[in-house]
Amino acid sequence: MRNKLQEALKLSKADYTEIRIEERESARISYRGKDLENANAVIDKGGVVRCLIRKHGWGVATFNNLDDLKNKVEQAYQCALVARSDSPIALGPIDVLEENIQAVMEHDFRDVSMSAKKALVENYNNILLDSSPKIIDTSAVYVDSFSQIYFANSEGTYIGEERPSVTIATTAIARDGDNVQQSHESFAGPFGFEFVLGREEMARTAARRAVELLNAKSVIGGQYPVVVDPMLAGVFIHEAFGHLSESDFVYENPKAREMMVLGRRFGKDFLNVYDDGTIPGQRGTHRFDDEGTPTRHNDLIKDGILVGRLHSRETAAKMGEIVTGNARAINYRFPPIVRMTNTAIDNGTTLFEDMIKDIKLGIYACDAYGGETMLENFSFSSGHAYMIRDGKIAEMVKDVILSGNLFSTLMNIDAIGNDFRWLTVGGGCGKGEQVPLPVGMGAPHIRIQNVVIGGN
Amino acid sequence: MDLMKELLRKAEQVEIINLQNETTTVTFEANQLKSCRVAETKGTSVRVVRDGRMGFAASSDERAVTKLASNVLESANYGDQLTFNFPAAQPAAQVRTFDRKIVDLSISRLVEIGREVLDLILPVEPEASVNINLKRSVQSASLKNQTGLDIQFKSSPLAFELEIDRIVGDDVLIIFDIVGTTEWDEDYLGFARQLVKKLKMARILTSMRSGNMPVLFSPSGSLALGLPVKEGLNGKNVYKGTSPMRGKIGEKLFDEKLTMIDDGTLHGRPGSAPYDDEGVPHQRNLLVDKGVLKGFFYDLRTAARFGVTSTGNATRSLFTQPEPASSNFMIQPGNTPLKDMIASIREGILVEGLLGLGQGNIISGAFSNPLALAFKIENGQIVGRVKDLSIAGNVYDLLKNVEAVSQETEWVYASIHAPYILLPQMNVVAKE
Repeated sequence: MRNKLQEALKLSKADYTEIRIEERESARISYRGKDLENANAVIDKGGVVRCLIRKHGWGVATFNNLDDLKNKVEQAYQCALVARSDSPIALGPIDVLEENIQAVMEHDFRDVSMSAKKALVENYNNILLDSSPKIIDTSAVYVDSFSQIYFANSEGTYIGEERPSVTIATTAIARDGDNVQQSHESFAGPFGFEFVLGREEMARTAARRAVELLNAKSVIGGQYPVVVDPMLAGVFIHEAFGHLSESDFVYENPKAREMMVLGRRFGKDFLNVYDDGTIPGQRGTHRFDDEGTPTRHNDLIKDGILVGRLHSRETAAKMGEIVTGNARAINYRFPPIVRMTNTAIDNGTTLFEDMIKDIKLGIYACDAYGGETMLENFSFSSGHAYMIRDGKIAEMVKDVILSGNLFSTLMNIDAIGNDFRWLTVGGGCGKGEQVPLPVGMGAPHIRIQNVVIGGN
Repeated sequence: MDLMKELLRKAEQVEIINLQNETTTVTFEANQLKSCRVAETKGTSVRVVRDGRMGFAASSDERAVTKLASNVLESANYGDQLTFNFPAAQPAAQVRTFDRKIVDLSISRLVEIGREVLDLILPVEPEASVNINLKRSVQSASLKNQTGLDIQFKSSPLAFELEIDRIVGDDVLIIFDIVGTTEWDEDYLGFARQLVKKLKMARILTSMRSGNMPVLFSPSGSLALGLPVKEGLNGKNVYKGTSPMRGKIGEKLFDEKLTMIDDGTLHGRPGSAPYDDEGVPHQRNLLVDKGVLKGFFYDLRTAARFGVTSTGNATRSLFTQPEPASSNFMIQPGNTPLKDMIASIREGILVEGLLGLGQGNIISGAFSNPLALAFKIENGQIVGRVKDLSIAGNVYDLLKNVEAVSQETEWVYASIHAPYILLPQMNVVAKE
């Protein structure tokens, strides 16, 4: 493979060329209610060539047929030729390197039979179905994927990397008359089959919570102090702040550029937010990004001040900043763009009990169920929540939607917990067509004052 | 390995489809050329019936044939117990779907065409931000099954996805359309000229109060009425129980001025082909005849669930199993010239486009959308553009009483053919 790639690269007339090949095998089993919907395996092999002509721009060619790389390089070059750039495009410098990275799985899922995988999902699905007569529908999905990536560029870098991934996701839907509620629990990570074994508690929790939500009252809308659990905090920082740190977005959007000025205060002194592609065992972790740049710890907010952002080689050069190792592509059908890896609110010092004990009336919001952001405005639904009354967690409430402005919300964080954890959930990040990209998210509990909560 | 032979040793029925596609996409964003990309995909998709159960697998690695065979046989262990048969060869219509002139367009020529579209629009609308996705595909497929069916097909669709945004203060004008063809047309800029006409009309502003009034839907506006019905006519939605038309074949559900067909045999359309993606010949399917529901559209599997024959509406891609989809969905023209329809309106609106079209629970027939582009009609004349209006309703109520359907029709979203539809009365809400 290496010779094949390097020979094709030699023929390129572009200023910079890279080729990324991916060979992927994946299995998917899904149950919906009592029915087995799918039990299939997929073989997908292909590649992408990117050519850069500095005075023009980028050209991209993707393909399944690996036998004609010369022609693909030429096509990418032709595509680059039609672009026009106002000023020559530069790339932030990185070292030339050669690496081979192998996956470590305790139990390689490629050795597990389809029938064993099916039995696993069936077991979790049955737990969902059997947990309560009020559960009227379920979803249980298992996905595994093993990719062998080969990357080579015209600077001489060559990287081989094995990427395993496994996911188990369960959803329970409960009904009582017209009242329908759902709850969801999942586990995903760059591991082997061992990661999805013994997850009965995951299914029991999803089912139990769906039923509990049936009895929850809709929250009364208003302004509240809110304690947010690590799950919701992690999703919040990723969606409401993380995307604004992606330099390709910032560069093209004048409003975003105005907002994201390095040195600007974003939160109190104890707020620290970072993106780190090196955290062992996290879904966004790789030794190198998809341009061959080593990943690293990137501080985004330090002591409350905006100190950094995330880059590809192109955005780093454009903005006169250093490369950060955040150029990622979801698969071989796409060129890399600026993406997060593992994004987190750093650990603080407050005990959870101390966070809630002074709250006379507030909300403890957990889990995230989708949300929307438009520049600095956001809106998130929490999966489930509880009232906080007189310093104690009280009754469960539903339809809790947190919305607001990123800046005032971050400034209103007045306590950061000491119980940081990385999330282990499935799903992924969406940007343009490249969805769902595996990412890591982490946070401790955080307390935010004056949050606008919309009820149903 | 001869995949067919190998699989027939273990399975009663085998279907092998080889798909190949090369798509060149030129993207303009905010009036600038943003990128140019070529995507080639190639692979094999297989279905088997083994011991009465269906298996499916796919691969884009032409060397991994052994694995593909074992994957598809394994998946049959968990497959549906279904009784339908892959079709034997049947005669099919000759359909023109391939034009060398489209295939031979160079990358720089495609870019030039994109610029020609911009050069038509920007002088008329200098504040517009235009996004164009110009896609030229060369597709070929070969389908074989155990009956001896062996068909080949190739297609050369050229498509424009066009969005024009003109945002001036809080005045938001958005026009979106998809135009497609598989035959080169010397007047390839015709659609852009039509759009420019609409933009010119939109210059004159006027205002409107809320009220009940006649609403004239242009072909692009009529998507608000047609899309929910198209979804409801899809056999898979009927099977799922979400289509409001389930169990109503033979009933008069709409005004008798409405006739709707699905026809995959029209020349030069991206949705057309001699056969569907399972090898069932495309045909003209009469779905609604003078308001009476005649039937739904199916693929083999959904047809089997209802005990009927496939209407030839199977669509698939490399990694997905076939599903029913409309090929070309056509609301037939009516008897009234457009000019007479406009002349008949004392006070009403012409709806050209809706914001958020197709979002929400449209399968129920319900829609509620702000209007992206609409004009006021007063005493039989279009007098100007009106803003900040919304309309809502349920198509299953609204289409029971149609005032008129135009003789004129247009292609919208590349595979829907619609006339102007005049509803006698709708509640139009103006933002105060």
